[in-house]
Amino acid sequence: MKLQLRTILLTAGMLMAAASCVKKDNFDAPEASLEGNLVDQGSKNNIQTATGNVTIRLEQLSWSATPAPQDIPVKMDGSFKNSKLFKGHYRVSIKGGAFWAVPPVEMDIDKGSKYDFNLTPYLYLNSFTHQLDSNQLTLRFTMQAPIAGMPAIAEIQPYVNTTSLVGPGASIRDYSDVYKVAVNKEWADMSPADKSPEFVIPNLVRGRTFYVRVGVRFNNDDKSSNLSEIIKIDIPK
Amino acid sequence: MNMYNKLFTVLLAVLAVVSSCQKLDIKPVNLLTDDQIFSSESGVNVYMAQVYRKLPIEDFTYRPTGRDNQPGFNLHHEWEHFWHAGAACGEMVGPWGGMDIGGGFGYWPYADIRAVNYFIETLPKYAANFTQDKIDQFTGEAYFLRAYYYFALAKRYGGVPIVEVVQKYPEQTIEELQVHRNTEEETWNFIGKDLDQAILLLSGTSAPERANKYVAAALKSRAMLYAGSIARYGSQNFISGDARTQGYVGIAPEKAADYFNQAIAAAKLLEGHYNLYTSNSDKVMNYVDAFLDEKSPENILVRNYSIPSRTAHSWDATFSPRWMTANALSRAYPTLEYVERFGLLDFNNPDGTPKRYSQLTDAFQGLEPRLRATVYFPGDILRTRTFDVQRGIYPAFSGTAAAEVAKLAASRSYLLSGDPNTMYNGKAIIGQTGISTAGDERTRTGFYVRKYIDYRRPQADVDLFTSTTHWIEFRYAEILLNRAEADIETGQAADALACLNKIRDRAGATPLTIADMTIDVVRNERSKELAFENHYWWDIRRWRIADVILNNARFQGIMPYYVFDEQKYIILKEPETFGRNYNFEKKFYYEPMPGGELGKNPNLYPNNPNY
Repeated sequence: MKLQLRTILLTAGMLMAAASCVKKDNFDAPEASLEGNLVDQGSKNNIQTATGNVTIRLEQLSWSATPAPQDIPVKMDGSFKNSKLFKGHYRVSIKGGAFWAVPPVEMDIDKGSKYDFNLTPYLYLNSFTHQLDSNQLTLRFTMQAPIAGMPAIAEIQPYVNTTSLVGPGASIRDYSDVYKVAVNKEWADMSPADKSPEFVIPNLVRGRTFYVRVGVRFNNDDKSSNLSEIIKIDIPK
Repeated sequence: MNMYNKLFTVLLAVLAVVSSCQKLDIKPVNLLTDDQIFSSESGVNVYMAQVYRKLPIEDFTYRPTGRDNQPGFNLHHEWEHFWHAGAACGEMVGPWGGMDIGGGFGYWPYADIRAVNYFIETLPKYAANFTQDKIDQFTGEAYFLRAYYYFALAKRYGGVPIVEVVQKYPEQTIEELQVHRNTEEETWNFIGKDLDQAILLLSGTSAPERANKYVAAALKSRAMLYAGSIARYGSQNFISGDARTQGYVGIAPEKAADYFNQAIAAAKLLEGHYNLYTSNSDKVMNYVDAFLDEKSPENILVRNYSIPSRTAHSWDATFSPRWMTANALSRAYPTLEYVERFGLLDFNNPDGTPKRYSQLTDAFQGLEPRLRATVYFPGDILRTRTFDVQRGIYPAFSGTAAAEVAKLAASRSYLLSGDPNTMYNGKAIIGQTGISTAGDERTRTGFYVRKYIDYRRPQADVDLFTSTTHWIEFRYAEILLNRAEADIETGQAADALACLNKIRDRAGATPLTIADMTIDVVRNERSKELAFENHYWWDIRRWRIADVILNNARFQGIMPYYVFDEQKYIILKEPETFGRNYNFEKKFYYEPMPGGELGKNPNLYPNNPNY
């Protein structure tokens, strides 16, 4: 077969076209990471949160003075992690949450960066106890304020769910929201009885396992809550 | 080369040379130039018509989250009017999954504002073509239009960049074009200033769709009332943040009284020029017709629709059940909470057992005519068909209403159905108009919207894009309510009382006394009168009560049941059938600055709090 000029040209053109596809962009892959915890500076334990309650806001100042922010949701155990970040200089701040505000920090983020926020919650939910009588659950706890002067308390309520993902926005309404108590008081105006509430949740479905916690919701900017730890309750058949 | 070819070549050369004499620099034939627009009144009217068409009027077709990444205003071929702002905040329940409209759609009409600024700058160059009257008229109209755009921005974002000149690119640098955000106070003051200009320049009459002196005063009364309540209540319930510290959102509370006084003064300008509609001695039909009669003296500014211009809307076909229309479906229904703004309904005997009714209409006697004209109740008739609303059948019923409603659904002895053709011993379990267990094309609350429904059209005509009922953007009742609210905010209860009693008299309600006059009463009257007209959402925002009344709120309806063994009806108050949850976060008192604009202009930072 005789090689014709146009065949050669066509082949050369296709090769050039194909070669143009292999150009690499000039950005490094996002390999930097940031992880950390929201730590209660009193007890040194992580602060318990709930889905969507608190986020960590990152602003990449090395990219722009007014960057579009990116948020890392904080997990329920108070930890956070994003392992697909671009290396650079960031402003890191906390968005939302029921604790005393801390100023943002500026830091360089690279592979394996870690940062813990030391925080003081508005309230501790102490002595969280439960009592199960057949299929009726009674919950008690006591509020304690490490620092007075926090935003007004809007409401308190139990959260009951069938999975361990339980909290504001993740609970069974008939066992949770219907037992909500509207408080709408400043801390200083609350009586000792107000500070040690009790919830009685009757008629839990027999033979099922429930995950239960209690929360105090504040009338702050994002109406966030201080939450107790999660307990697991097995209702007998 | 033969002779023919030579001749051909020469001819070609000659032709090429001659064709170059054709002038290429001709004016485009598909654009109107300044010379054409500003040569005559009709040219200006063409220009104005397109600005009015784009005006951010929240009319029948307004969709508070936009559609397909387009702004929610003046959407082409929009028929799903049940995506209504009132259906996301408790006036109605609707297709929204909850309070889904807090983020808006990133409205940013600076191209439209540019069209107005261009008009204001260019008209003087052609002043010789017009009399001074006309120039004043057109200029005043332009100020009104610009104020209207900025009002739509300010109520969403707070402070925005004020652009009052035509920006030029590439003559100006990017940095010059990145206009800095103004404070919220400056933005509201700018709106007030533009409207003062408009009131000064405009004459007292205009076509119903165009601005005149009083239309500008109407907008001013609304805008200054908004500014006053933002100053007062935005200082009590707010989110802190950089935008607030720097004044881009929020107004100092001591400024409130001045704004309220401006609202009152603007509202008083309209006195004697407009009146509430009172043509029919039947108070119910009078209130119904107030929204349908184009000659109503209550209308201050309207927007018209027509089938030939392809602007007809679908309100009739999408707010009544398919049973009463020729096509389409309904999906938004007034809540019991709205209906009970007129007073609690009681369907029970003193002992708590439900009253037995021979027919459903017996349960709704003696209600305020305005309520009957705003909402269709079970037993009402539209286009010869009856709202036969029925939730289900009880073969037998005993006990109290409260005990029955508290039971779990599984332990109630009723029969429900998703299909109006399902029978129980020859009696339909649900009505053609609901309440169904399937879908939301029949009422979820027992009620249907009546306001703006044109009952005169035969059923066969009620299809999509066939409704031509005008939208009343400003009507005199709102002006009286603006004035009453500003009155009560500034301690002028007697004037507020006079305004409310005019409205209540027309509504067929009993008059109030001076002792009744509280801010809550005035607000409730406003919410009753202006229902489904896209006011309520903005009202609960500017009163800064939305996060309180929409705190994981659920809404209720009335559920009529047929008790088979007694052959009577009972009515129970129950949660609307979808049981949806409506929650308003405090950050929604302002919408976020649109992300795309923040990317283009760093001077729009800081963004509004908590975004």
